[in-house]
Amino acid sequence: MNLDPSFIWTAGLSLLQALPETLWITFVSVAAGLVIGTAVALCRMYHIPVLSQLSAGYVAFVRGTPMLMHLLLIYFGLPVLIDGISSAMGWSFTSASIPLIGFVWIAFSITAGAYMSEVVRAGIQAVDKGQVEAAQSIGMTTIQTLRRIILPQALSVSLPNLSNSVIGMLHGSTLAYTISVVEINARAQIVAADNWKYFEAYIAAAILFWVLTILIEWISGWLEYRLNAYQRGGAL
Amino acid sequence: MIQLSGLSKTFGTQQVLKEIDLTVDKGEVVVILGPSGSGKTTMLRCINYLERPDAGEVRIGHLAVQGKHPSRRDIHQLRQRTAMVFQQYNLFKHRTALENVMEGLTVVQRIPRSEAREISARMLEKVGLGSKLDHYPGQLSGGQQQRVGIARALALNPEVILFDEPTSALDPELVGEVLEVIRRIAREGITMIVVTHEMGFARDVANRVVFMDGGIIVEEGQPEEIFQRPREERTRQFLQRIMPEPNYSI
Ligand SMILES: Nc1ncnc2c1ncn2[C@@H]1O[C@H](COP(=O)(O)OP(=O)(O)OP(=O)(O)O)[C@@H](O)[C@H]1O
Ligand SMILES: [Mg+2]
Repeated sequence: MNLDPSFIWTAGLSLLQALPETLWITFVSVAAGLVIGTAVALCRMYHIPVLSQLSAGYVAFVRGTPMLMHLLLIYFGLPVLIDGISSAMGWSFTSASIPLIGFVWIAFSITAGAYMSEVVRAGIQAVDKGQVEAAQSIGMTTIQTLRRIILPQALSVSLPNLSNSVIGMLHGSTLAYTISVVEINARAQIVAADNWKYFEAYIAAAILFWVLTILIEWISGWLEYRLNAYQRGGAL
Repeated sequence: MIQLSGLSKTFGTQQVLKEIDLTVDKGEVVVILGPSGSGKTTMLRCINYLERPDAGEVRIGHLAVQGKHPSRRDIHQLRQRTAMVFQQYNLFKHRTALENVMEGLTVVQRIPRSEAREISARMLEKVGLGSKLDHYPGQLSGGQQQRVGIARALALNPEVILFDEPTSALDPELVGEVLEVIRRIAREGITMIVVTHEMGFARDVANRVVFMDGGIIVEEGQPEEIFQRPREERTRQFLQRIMPEPNYSI
């Protein structure tokens, strides 16, 4: 087997075309996942009737099944649902007008939501109850206490775990190729097949993912440093 | 004026407060004494509904809040008229000393930031922390943190400040500075209910001492009365245990 080092570079440049897809999938699923995860964590922690049971079921199901299944279930199930509702209501909307990447966004947001709810929950539990009581005692409402006292501290405590979730979603985004969304991995496959240089193409893809991962860790480290200023004793 | 009537609270099968009646006049400093588990903390926490009493009434001025299911609005009102200083300080760890004091002013009382900042700086000055405005709780000693806690309570200009063993978590050498601050604000005529085991402080500062045991108020009176001539056997035993040296008064 002969390796063509120069093709790694060529393939890498070509993979960059698919970079936006990968970043979008990661960004959307992480952002939506954080919102869903926070809502789910709160429903469970405040024991909101019905919602907390639904939330627990959702988290258990998603964590108990592979990420690829979420994508396939959404990809094959959602159109049936949407088209059924649409025709029952007499709308002209059909699932065919949803872009493929839309299915990936929805599916991976669901995946991320479940995992991140656990991260957020652990973060909230790390904020001591005394601060909540202090907030209540000065007359803050539950929502104000959450927004101003609990969540900021929960997020900064959770940052290392959240950054792991982001990396998990970045790597998981490669599964989007199964429904023909051309992100970095799919692009590598195409480049490889066109030139019969599989190893080189995948080396290029691996390097690209590694660089992205390092960037995420770097950003998260910086954020952690900024947000956790209050936890460092000593100098301001 | 603060008035508790028939305040009762049960945890599981244990009745912790048994129809407590207590009236505190404006400007009065009431010290609550009692053995561990007698219900002092629970009573204090019922006054601002951090704990919900099962029955009874908490009245502050014209606001009367009743029983186990008062309206959210009533609780909110009650909390705006009271402030609490906690044994564990309970400062907001992600906020500086100044921000800790400002929080209630800007978020609850909706005072403009610049004005809130001014009031807060003044309060911190008052508790001797004028040079620590921008320090986070993690950068302050226990005594300093508790003084921020006191400034946070004072800033809200409440009708009563509730202190739950404000010096119990402190290293002995830091107790004095905190008691001194409380003493000073007591002299300003701020209404206070203080749970403490600091007998010297109680003697100095209290207008009235209330002795609790087993969820009831066993006796109450002027500090001299309670400390020199307690009427009840239980009070006598408690004082003997906590201040073993005999009290020679010739
Ligand atoms: N949330 C709770 N759940 C169950 N029992 C409780 C709870 N809070 C207090 N108790 C019980 O109620 C009783 C009174 O407690 P409380 O904290 O009011 O006593 P205290 O007089 O403040 O005692 P200490 O001097 O030790 O602080 C105790 O027996 C305690 O175990
Ligand atoms: Mg107590």
